[in-house]
Amino acid sequence: MQNRFDVVVIGGGHAGIEASMAAARMGVATAIVTMDPNAIGRLSCNPSIGGSAKGHLVKEIDALGGVMGRLADRSGLQFKMLNRSKGPAVWSPRAQNDIALYPQYARELLESTANLTIVRGKVVEILVKHDRIVGVRTEDNEEILCKAVILCSGTFLNGVMHTGMCRTDGGRIGEKSATLISDLLAGYGLEKGRLKTGTPPRLDADSINYDVCELHPGDEDPQPFSYLTDAVANKVMCYATATNPTTHDILREGFDQSPMFTGRIKAAGPRYCPSVEDKINRFADRDSHLIVLEPEGMQTNSVYVNGFSTSLPEDVQLRGIRSIAGLERAEFIRPGYAVEYDFFFPYQLRFSLETKAIAGLYFAGQINGTSGYEEAASQGLVAGINAALKLRGEGEFHLRRSEAYIGVMIDDLVNKNTEEPYRIFTSLAEYRLVLRQDNADKRLMKYGHRFGLIGDTAMETSRTRWDRVDRFVELADKIKLKPASVNPYLESVREKQIEQSTQMALLTRRGQVRLAGLLQNDDESLQELEDINHNETVTLAETEIKYKGYIDRQMRDIERFQANEEKRIPDNFDYDNLKSLSNEAREKLSKIRPQSLGQASRIAGVSAADVSILTVYLR
Amino acid sequence: MLVADTICALATPPGTGGLAVIRVSGPAAFDLVQPCLRSRTDLSQADGHTIHYAAFVDGDSIVDTVTASVFRAPRSYTGEDSVEIGCHGGQIVARNIVAALVRQGARPAEPGEFTKRAFLNNKLDLTQVEAVADVIHAVSTPGAQAAARQLTGGFTRRLAEIRNRLMDVCGLLELELDFSEEDLEFVDKNDLRRQLDEIGQVCRELTESYESAHILRNGYHVGLIGFPNAGKSSLMNALLGRRRAIVSDTPGTTRDYLEETLHMEGIAFKLYDTAGMRSSDDQIEIEGIQLAESIVEQSNCVLVINDASAGAAHSDELAESMRARFGAVEVLTVQNKVDLVKQTADELKQTRDDLFISANKGEGLDALRAQLVELATSSSARVNDVLINDRHVGLLQQVIESINNAMTSIENAPSNEFIAVDVRLALKTLGEITGDNWSEDLLTEVFSRFCIGK
Repeated sequence: MQNRFDVVVIGGGHAGIEASMAAARMGVATAIVTMDPNAIGRLSCNPSIGGSAKGHLVKEIDALGGVMGRLADRSGLQFKMLNRSKGPAVWSPRAQNDIALYPQYARELLESTANLTIVRGKVVEILVKHDRIVGVRTEDNEEILCKAVILCSGTFLNGVMHTGMCRTDGGRIGEKSATLISDLLAGYGLEKGRLKTGTPPRLDADSINYDVCELHPGDEDPQPFSYLTDAVANKVMCYATATNPTTHDILREGFDQSPMFTGRIKAAGPRYCPSVEDKINRFADRDSHLIVLEPEGMQTNSVYVNGFSTSLPEDVQLRGIRSIAGLERAEFIRPGYAVEYDFFFPYQLRFSLETKAIAGLYFAGQINGTSGYEEAASQGLVAGINAALKLRGEGEFHLRRSEAYIGVMIDDLVNKNTEEPYRIFTSLAEYRLVLRQDNADKRLMKYGHRFGLIGDTAMETSRTRWDRVDRFVELADKIKLKPASVNPYLESVREKQIEQSTQMALLTRRGQVRLAGLLQNDDESLQELEDINHNETVTLAETEIKYKGYIDRQMRDIERFQANEEKRIPDNFDYDNLKSLSNEAREKLSKIRPQSLGQASRIAGVSAADVSILTVYLR
Repeated sequence: MLVADTICALATPPGTGGLAVIRVSGPAAFDLVQPCLRSRTDLSQADGHTIHYAAFVDGDSIVDTVTASVFRAPRSYTGEDSVEIGCHGGQIVARNIVAALVRQGARPAEPGEFTKRAFLNNKLDLTQVEAVADVIHAVSTPGAQAAARQLTGGFTRRLAEIRNRLMDVCGLLELELDFSEEDLEFVDKNDLRRQLDEIGQVCRELTESYESAHILRNGYHVGLIGFPNAGKSSLMNALLGRRRAIVSDTPGTTRDYLEETLHMEGIAFKLYDTAGMRSSDDQIEIEGIQLAESIVEQSNCVLVINDASAGAAHSDELAESMRARFGAVEVLTVQNKVDLVKQTADELKQTRDDLFISANKGEGLDALRAQLVELATSSSARVNDVLINDRHVGLLQQVIESINNAMTSIENAPSNEFIAVDVRLALKTLGEITGDNWSEDLLTEVFSRFCIGK
């Protein structure tokens, strides 16, 4: 076997896939080491990609030249744009995926990529010399030499699984855990902690009475994630049901056996993907929660119970499930379980996701305390790109909070305390209206193109697309529509009719008016738009025109934000001398060593007063 | 403390005065002052908050007899070891003392540097730093009191209340967006509208108190206007109790305007004596009259002085036109020269609701003074524990604008994230007033208001 690579990626999960693909495609010799090549790209929790804010991440990954969007499109069973009733900034694409096909396509993709070797094995040691990566050692005592290691170990570092009071070692059901690496890294002074995550039970489709459930269909015009995918189709139907007071009573009885409530799981679980027992506990006044039954694939009878994540004992889970309409005779294919694992506090990372302690060692995914495939994949991509850039002797790739959800996430990871698994939310983005899923290519494709992950054609297509939108927006300000042309439409949407010719942009900004509606007439001034009057352009232009006031306000705010990011703090600044800082601030600032005053102001435990002190001192 | 050097500066205004104080602050404060003192006290051994009498010497020559007040870190204004040297007033003595200290190794302080050190040593927060500037610049007792209250954090608390309420609003909006997949509704639009409206109302009230705060900070402005020779200058002199304006029988003697400050009941009154109002072909006088109008515009109160001997209603048209043109300004008619009128003041009072005085005889002046004090007090009464300055008012107006935008979005926008844009902006701006959000502009602005020695 070849035993010398540029980059070794440990772990074949969603972070590992993106990291190894990016590095290999950027031209560096890459190996991906996994305990089981069949487990590459496994959807260990919900077989679904995207969702609120996560869908934004997938679009961003795609625009940067990552692969998650393509894989999700190919293996997708049902596609939905969430939050359609809300504004375009929070629209989020989501797909349900075939649990067998996603990993299969992922593996095929890796296998067919040049510069990329899949190595079956278990890494037991990371080889470091003078605080620099030199290679890894496998369980079979083989050394693989390399210059960079990207560790994407998921929940496998000291992973322990819990089902009720029963506990077993392992990172995923049926797979063993990795114990040695974690302690070894701690030996280099890296600070670690413990987190918990869980997954709901899977049901046998034949045991479900779908007749009493509501249909939960995909979109009528399903949209793909990737710019490389032409079209996608819905292949399955999902069904919705709900918990009821009886379900809640049954589950409550089991609380004293829940490893979370009894304190057997010491680690913190994610607050925002609450287990069903959490939901019952927290929203005590609600006597019903939504449950969606999602088929896991075309070749399997397994059904995912969305909204029923739990770590209660199997018998309690089953009785709870059977109290739900349609699930009275449900049979488990596999119960829900919780897994507890080691992570490393991400303040120890650079924005490139390289550890500060060991040059050439990168962390991506759950090892950084995040939860979710999309979060992991985004980090894998950033780590892969950065490892390759470093080997090519180029500068770090660092996305700003104002540019991408990926930038928001990594900035949060580095600066904030990790008390529970980090999951992306639109509320975490200050510039939400600008970071839309529909403009990810406008924001990010230029980077992917520069790194060689996006082809010239795709780049050109994206540029043309946005040039058209810009021109449309510009013309909308100039073109005046006659009352006779638009009044019938205005009347039909119950908007006030106009008496004299009015700018198209002004009309578009009215509450009930859709831009497309204003174009359905033969006003001759519309001829100017002829060559750019396409559905896609109109949709994008509508957002830009309708929300111009809001977007302008955010853009002004972004300018101030950028200015603060430019205010540098000297690299070797000695915070110990600044006695007036609070102790916590001094400690955090010394650990994280922010590059700018703007970054300093975002660090958890550093107050505005502390940053003011720093500013006054530095001026 | 990280600042290694020791600074010194004259802390009292330069010029002739009874006493002057020189501040010395920094780790070497005691060691640096000691060689300049001929005294039995060893400053480095002296207790904090003690005063020591000594002769201040520069080499062999005695500069002055002084008192040296010792403050030990952290219990001093700056939080550092400090000495305040009280000497006799006059430019030469103070300048020599500073020069001697500089020769001992002290560095002349930059404007605001003592306060900057106090800030860096956590002795003051930002709004308190602002309040220090306000106390220094205060021209009225209530103003100084409000500033002093701000120094103890009153203003910050008021804004913190608004901020907390906005945070609650923001939290609910975001929660609904975050849980949108579950289709939960947390936000009641009517409740939201009411909340925002109330918050906006509080901000508006705070902004309105700016005008009052302005009076406390800058004094109550009183413009004296009237037709030529109505006795404006005589009244000015009578109020001041000295001859300031030139008084003559020739109409139009006062050609530009005169400004004087009068203190009554702890409030500073800025009196402006203007050129007489009349149409004139005389170029200088026309300019004077235009000037008078611009003074009216900036005044809190205008006294229309009428020559009662020319008829009580002689200036009514003038007073009316002032009211019509400058609605915000209080306009009072003062009937002067009542001693020259046949009717008694009491008889006149039955027909007209004016003030009746004789500037020359000093009659009715107490009533006029009382009236001015009442007006100034009532218009500054809205200032309770809050003293708003230009920076605050600018930012509060931005907050109000953001809240108005958010209210509009509740009606027009399709979803919470649009409301949230402006609620978040409002929160950010509020945080900049209180210092909860870091902003470099704020720091620049706050510290630029200081002079050397503060």
